This record gives sequence, C-alpha cells and structure tokens, in this order.
Amino acid sequence: MATNSLISIAEGDSKVRASDSSRLQLSNLSKEFGQDPDRTVAVDNINLTIEPGEFITLLGPSGCGKTTTLRMIAGFENPTFGSILLDNQDISKLTPDRRPMGMVFQSYALFPHMSVYENVAYGLKIKKLPAKQIEQEVGFVLATMSLEFLANRAPNQLSGGQQQRVALARAMVMRPKVLLFDEPLSNLDAKLRSQMRIEIRQLQQRLGITSIFVTHDQDEAMSISDRIVVMRNARIEQVGEPAEIYRHPKTVFVADFIGRSNFLTVEKIQSKTKSGKIAIKVLGKNMEVDAHEDAVTASNPVLLIRPESIRIKRSHSKNQEASGTQGRVLNVVFYGAHVEYEIETEKGNLVAVVSDPKHDEIVPVGQMAEFSFDENRAWLLPSGD
Amino acid sequence: MKLDLITRIVLVCTIAVLALLIIFPLTNILITATHENGRAVFSSIFSSPVTRQIIKNTVLLGSTVGVLGTLIGFLLAYAQTRLEFRGKKILHIISLIPLISPPFAFATAVIVLFGRSGIITRDLLGLSPVLYGYPGLVIVLTTSFFPVAYMNLLGMMRSLDPSLDEAAASLGSSKSKVFVKITFPMLIPGIASSFLLLFVESIADLANPLVIGGDFTVLSSRAYIAINGEYDVAAGAAYSVVLLVPGLLVFLLQRYWAQRKNVVSVTGKPSGRVRNIESKGAKFFLLSIPFAMSSLIIMVYVTVLIGGFVKVLGVNNEFTLDHFSYIFSGIGNDAIIKTTLLALIATPIAGILGMILAWLIVRKIRRGRELMDFLGMLGIAVPGTVLGIGYAVTFNHTTKLGEFSLIPQLAGGGAIFGGALAIIMVYTIRSSPAGQRSGIAALQQIDPAIDEASASLGASGVVTFKKVTLPLIRGALLTGLMFAFARSMTTLSPIIFITTPDTPIMTSKILSEVDAGRFGNAFAFCTILIVLVSLAMSAINLLVRGRSIESLSNPLN
Ligand SMILES: Nc1ncnc2c1ncn2[C@@H]1O[C@H](COP(=O)(O)OP(=O)(O)OP(=O)(O)O)[C@@H](O)[C@H]1O
Ligand SMILES: [Mg+2]
Repeated sequence: MATNSLISIAEGDSKVRASDSSRLQLSNLSKEFGQDPDRTVAVDNINLTIEPGEFITLLGPSGCGKTTTLRMIAGFENPTFGSILLDNQDISKLTPDRRPMGMVFQSYALFPHMSVYENVAYGLKIKKLPAKQIEQEVGFVLATMSLEFLANRAPNQLSGGQQQRVALARAMVMRPKVLLFDEPLSNLDAKLRSQMRIEIRQLQQRLGITSIFVTHDQDEAMSISDRIVVMRNARIEQVGEPAEIYRHPKTVFVADFIGRSNFLTVEKIQSKTKSGKIAIKVLGKNMEVDAHEDAVTASNPVLLIRPESIRIKRSHSKNQEASGTQGRVLNVVFYGAHVEYEIETEKGNLVAVVSDPKHDEIVPVGQMAEFSFDENRAWLLPSGD
Repeated sequence: MKLDLITRIVLVCTIAVLALLIIFPLTNILITATHENGRAVFSSIFSSPVTRQIIKNTVLLGSTVGVLGTLIGFLLAYAQTRLEFRGKKILHIISLIPLISPPFAFATAVIVLFGRSGIITRDLLGLSPVLYGYPGLVIVLTTSFFPVAYMNLLGMMRSLDPSLDEAAASLGSSKSKVFVKITFPMLIPGIASSFLLLFVESIADLANPLVIGGDFTVLSSRAYIAINGEYDVAAGAAYSVVLLVPGLLVFLLQRYWAQRKNVVSVTGKPSGRVRNIESKGAKFFLLSIPFAMSSLIIMVYVTVLIGGFVKVLGVNNEFTLDHFSYIFSGIGNDAIIKTTLLALIATPIAGILGMILAWLIVRKIRRGRELMDFLGMLGIAVPGTVLGIGYAVTFNHTTKLGEFSLIPQLAGGGAIFGGALAIIMVYTIRSSPAGQRSGIAALQQIDPAIDEASASLGASGVVTFKKVTLPLIRGALLTGLMFAFARSMTTLSPIIFITTPDTPIMTSKILSEVDAGRFGNAFAFCTILIVLVSLAMSAINLLVRGRSIESLSNPLN
C-alpha cells in the first residue's frame, strides 16, 4: 500500500524516483479548430520528448498554442493529428480521467463547496482508497505545503497564493505521472510569484515528477525550467536549456523574446577558423565569434550582443559623429544597481546595461561614448525569418 | 473534450427521453392532422367563414392581451426601477402572484365580481355587463399573464446602465425626452418580446376560454370541442397544429433576441444612481395603473378565499364549511392527493432532466447544442393544448413496431397505472425547461476549469456532475423546481385531454365544478390548491436557504 504513496516517494532515495518518473513524447501533434473558411491551426506538428523527471516550460507569445498543447496532453482537447506517448504507451485516446496527469489551472479551479481538506482528498476518494490512507496522504501533503492550519477553510477564505498552493496540493496528492501547469502564477503579485515558483520547483525536484509549465513570462521560464520550449505561431521555434536559449538563440525571434537584444549587421564573413569560430568584420573591426550553424550560409547573418555584454566609456575623440564604435548617448536611466544606456550608432540604436556603475563614469545624455564588447560574448545567427 | 463512455450513455438516454416525452407526440400530432378530417380543417381556413372567424378571434385576443399586458408590465417595471414610493416591495410580490394561481381562480372570481349579476357590477353599480366572451377573456388573461411581461422588462430595465440616462440628462435633455430618445429605444426588444410572449400564452390558454369564453371561440377551445365533444381527433390535431405555428415562431424569435441581449444590457453593474421622478402628478399618473392592477389581484384572492366559506357568494353570504366537506369527503380528496403525488413525483424527475440537459448543453456537447437546447425547451414552447392532444393521440393506444408492442398504452381509460404515467410525463416535460434554463444560467457562471480539474483528478463526467456540478447549482435547481411544481399543480390544458377517472386531477375537477355552476366548490378547491403550492414553495425556499452556496462561490482575489 505505502509503496505507491506520495509519502514513500518523498522519503525514498533519488534512484527510486528516477526510475519511477515518466517519459512523455509528443509526436506530430497537431490541433485545428473550426471548419474551413475560418479554420485556426492552433498547434502545428509538434515533436517533443520530455525526459523522466524533467521540468519543461512552454514559452511564447499569446495565441501561439501553449494552452492547446497542454490541454491535448491532459485530454481536454482531441488532437487533430499525431499522438501522445506516456512511457511508450499511446494515451491520446484516453479520456482525461483515465490519464495519470495532474493539472494546475490559472484560475486555481478549487471546488468552492468543499473545504481545503475536502478539495485535496477529492481525487483519492474517487480512487476509493481506504479512509485511513486518504487521511494520511492528505495530511502529509497539507503539511508539506504548510497548509495544515487552513484545512477547514473554504476556498473563498484563502488568499490567492494559498489557493494556488491548495490547487497544487490537490494535484500532487494524486501522485500524477505528469504535472501540467497553465500559467498558474499569473494571478499573483510579482513577489508572491517569484516565491511560488521557487516552491514549485523545489517540490517538483524532490518528488521527481515530470512537469510541463506554460507561461509567457520569460523570467519565470528561465528560473524554473530544465529546458525551455519556445513556441511561435503554433510551432516549436527552439528547445534548449535556459542558458543555451539565452546565449545561443536559433532565430532573431527567440533572441528577442528571451531577454533584450542588440543586432548588428555583419559586413564580411569567412568560414570556420581553426578554433571552430567564424571570422567576421563588424563596425570596422575583425573578430572571431561563435555562430549558429545556419548563420554561415545565411544571406544576411546578424550579430547578437546582449546589453550587459556592452561596455561604455566616455569618448575623448574630437570627432562628434557616430562612427565605428562611437555613438551618441540618447538616454540614460540610473537604476541603482545598474545603468541603462540608449546609444545612437551608425548601425542603429544600441541598448547597453552597465552594472555597478561609478558615478563619475556615467556618460551623460548628448555626449559621445565609446562602446566595446567581448567577441566571446557575441553570437552570430541567421536574420531571416 | 472527449466524451467518456458514461457521458455518451447519458447523452443517448437523454435524447431517448426527449424523443418519448415530446418529439414522438409532436410528430404524431402532425401525422394525425394530415388525416382526412384534419385536411378538411386546413382547407376550411380558406373556405369556411366559421373557421376564419375562430382564427380572427384568436389573433384579436392574443394581440389585445399582448398590448395591455405589456403596457401594465412596463408601467410596473418602470415604477420598480425608476420611482421611489411606499409599498414598492409589496407591489412587486403582488405582481408575481398570478404566475402561480390556479387557472380558474381569476375567471371565476371575475364572473362573481363583475358579471351580469356581479357583486360589484350589479349590487354596487347597478350595471349588468356582458362579461362572457371577448371582454371577460381580455380582463382575465391580461391579469393572468402580465407578470410575464413584468419580469421580462424588469430584468431588462435593471440592467440598463442609468449613467446613460444621466449622461443624456446632463447634456440638457428633459426627463421625458431622455425617456423617449434614450430609454425607450433600448427597451424595444424587451417590449416586443413581452408582447410576443403574452400573445402566445394567451392564444395557448384553454382554461379561461372554456370558463368565460362564451360564444367567442378560439383555436384552443375549438380543438377541445373537436376532441372532447365531437370525438374528431384528426380535426383537433389540425387545430392544434395551427396553434403550434405561432407558438414555435415566437419561441425562436425570443431565443434570437436573448442571444443579442448583451448588446442591450450594457453592463452588469449599473454605475450611476437612478434619478427618481419627483413630480407628484407624474408619480400619481404612473402609479395609478399598477395600484389598480394589484387591487384587482387582491380583490380576486379575497373573493376566492371568502367564496369557499359562504353558501353562494353575493347571493347567500352565510358562513359554511359545506364546500370543503364536499371536497374532502368525495372525489376531491382523491384528486388532491393524486395531483400532489403526481406533481411531487414529476418535479424531481423534471429537475434532473433539466439539469442533465443544461450540463450537456453547456459543458459536454459542442456541435448540436443549439438543437439540444431547443428540444429541451419544446415542452414549454408548445402550447399546453397541443401537448395534451399530442399525448392523447400518441399514448391512448399501444404503440406497435410490427408485431412487437414498443410502448404500452399510457393514457386514457384502460391504460397502465390508470394513465398516471402519461400525466407524470406531461408534468415532467412541462417542468424540465424551468430546470434547464436555471441550470444553464448557473452553469455558465461556474468556471469550466472546475469540471476539468475534477476530470484530471480521475472523476468521470457523471461523477463530476454528481459531486461538483450538482452541489454548485442546487440553489438554482431548487428555485427552478419550485416554479415547476407550482406550474404542474395549476396546469390544465395538457392534462384535460389525458385525465381518466382513475387519475382525477384538481384542475380538471375545478373545471367541472365551474361548469356545473358550483362556484363555491371551485373556490374552495382553488384555496386548497393555493395553500398546497405555497406550502411546497416555502419548503423548497427553506431548503435553498439552508444550503446556499453563495457564501462559498465567491473566491477572494
Ligand atoms: N476552442 C477554440 N476554438 C477555436 N479556436 C481556438 C480555441 N482554443 C484556442 N483557439 C485558438 O488557437 C490558438 C492557440 O490558442 P492557445 O490558447 O493555445 O494560445 P496560448 O499560447 O495559450 O495563448 P495565451 O498566452 O494567450 O494563453 C489561438 O489562435 C486561439 O484563438
Ligand atoms: Mg493560454
């Protein structure tokens, strides 16, 4: 009995967890809504494997198909095409109640006529577990989530954060093979949001439950995920670890969507050097940079430089024209921990962020500034969409 | 969402139930109407002056009641939303009383009060007006049905944003101009739909034309005569088909309007304060008709109450319990118990059917939900007379499929359970639309994610319905059922065609007492009926209040 319970999982060692976690595969998954004149392709041929115990985030602009993908996994939408495999078994024909998935909703969706305790116990009662065991498991989960003192409250007597914790506890107590989150934190204020995402992440890691988290908040995605799936127009644009996505985006869209970006047009390209880098000429300087494989053959590759990679110095040149690595400061904002510049250059405007600035080194508006960046921090990528 | 197996089974069963309760009888009526005598009726619409007169009468009656009832309903709604006066709450309650009155209470009381030898007309005023026929019908039907218009317009006027009126007024329009230019145009859909509703209700009514119609024959009474007097079922069916057409048309129009309603009701939260009319003269003018109407209603009720306790009201006003002892000693006893019992059986069935329909429509089916909704509402969209005749032609004999008898005889003499089953079926299909409507309204306010959460926790569709949906909509359900029960207890037109000696129904007993001129017994019957209905309504009210979920359904954030 206890071998299958949440308690034993939480107390067990990590090896047990890994072998107990599930792998989820989406293959050629597609969803279309409506009939022909106004047909929407909400999800277009998605292929993705989520490893056991992995925490994956679906990230993308509004309407790109994140929710639809998640709802197909949960069983609330039928795929138009493609299949969903859980541990190599096709579950796409199963109704939602037959799928071992837990879902946490944006609106929490707590049962308003039940107490916190009853909400959490609901699924176990449906499973017809012995009363004793239900009591144990619910008690354990409530304790884990520090919700014990709220057990007898009604959902409308809870704060937003507490409601979200109850929703999580309610899904967790079922020990689902996969946990699904659809923008669960978007109704919370900023502070609570960052606190909750840490909590979710810790709990998920401790229990080793394969998880899919939908958000359109890039900070949330960066801080919580093992891997991020960036979606755009119903398709997957790029899949990778947060650092990978940030440093080495595959497309301008990804670079722009995650973090802030400066793109410089590149004047001259030479193929791979001995070090495996690409030799380019940009802003009149020769340098060797890392590049996406498609960038070498692309017609108009661009160089990505993140604002924090740019260094700023007051220019002492007589020349007051923007040229080469010199530009005019259009705007300066002092944030305390860092200063943000907007600089007009001959290649367009650049954004630069300088952290821990010394007061007398800040270049005022209207002055000329000399900017530079470390070629190791730049990334060449194809510009075409 | 993929429908799980049990949900599919529920869907199929629901369709089967609807097929039995309404689709099959309606189809049968159409088929029967095409028999020879039925076709004769259709062609007589063009050839026979008698038939044409009946149709003219029907349209005239419907239009008059439609106009008058809407006007009264409008004045009452206007008074409730835009005027400040003493007795506002009481006026509201009195205005709703006719909704749950037994059908004869008004007709009989009006005859006693205002007839040729009426207490008021002859004894007080020395007049002897001819009440039977058109004038009597207009008075009685208007009084009976204006609450429908009142409720309709009240909801609409409450949802109108007063800030619009205010904005217009602050731009310098006078009050009457604001009303004509701003308020009234926005109410036109409500006024039009009220008119149509009243039109249909009054042409569908059978009880009053029988009691007070005199020589003024309308389609419903003609259909009744064809079946119960001439034993010509095909002709009766044909008349009711003619009756069915406007009923269904209005029902469809009404739905079309309801869908565009949100265009009219600008916001759910009126933001300004209503500017009340202060001028004494205007107030007096606007309130005179509402107060006259409620006085009439009270007078009628007092008449009914007193009439049951005196020998012959207005003639021999000596106190007596004869009427009540007549009812309780004889067949009346049986009727009271059986009617209540059958209505009590039908009400929960209707409630569950209505809720299941609402649930399927709002949550489960995507394609065909319009059709499903329509089929569910048919029971109320179809005039009672038509429904009753449909049941009579369908269930008065065994339905056979080849050699195999598919449905046993359910109605009429010799039917199983003495025909009680058919009556329960009629009550059910007449009542379930109330449950369906309130269920849909309640369900639309519940986040669909709650259902999905339940499903992802392993609950099948039916378990979710039982454990989550039903408890959440119980309040709405019971309120819907309260009216449904009242309706069952007081309905006559569908019942009169299928009642048997084994299943005496109160309303049809009242009709025979009225027919025989024994008004005292009829009044006593009405009083008992009113008491029973009020008791049931209070009981349900208590239930609702005891288990209100309002305190739980309102999350903080
Ligand atoms: N039930 C539906 N019927 C028709 N179209 C739908 C339906 N659900 C979603 N869509 C469409 O499918 C597309 C993807 O929607 P989806 O809800 O998956 O987006 P999303 O990525 O979750 O967006 P958001 O960040 O705004 O939540 C949208 O164009 C949407 O309009
Ligand atoms: Mg979404």
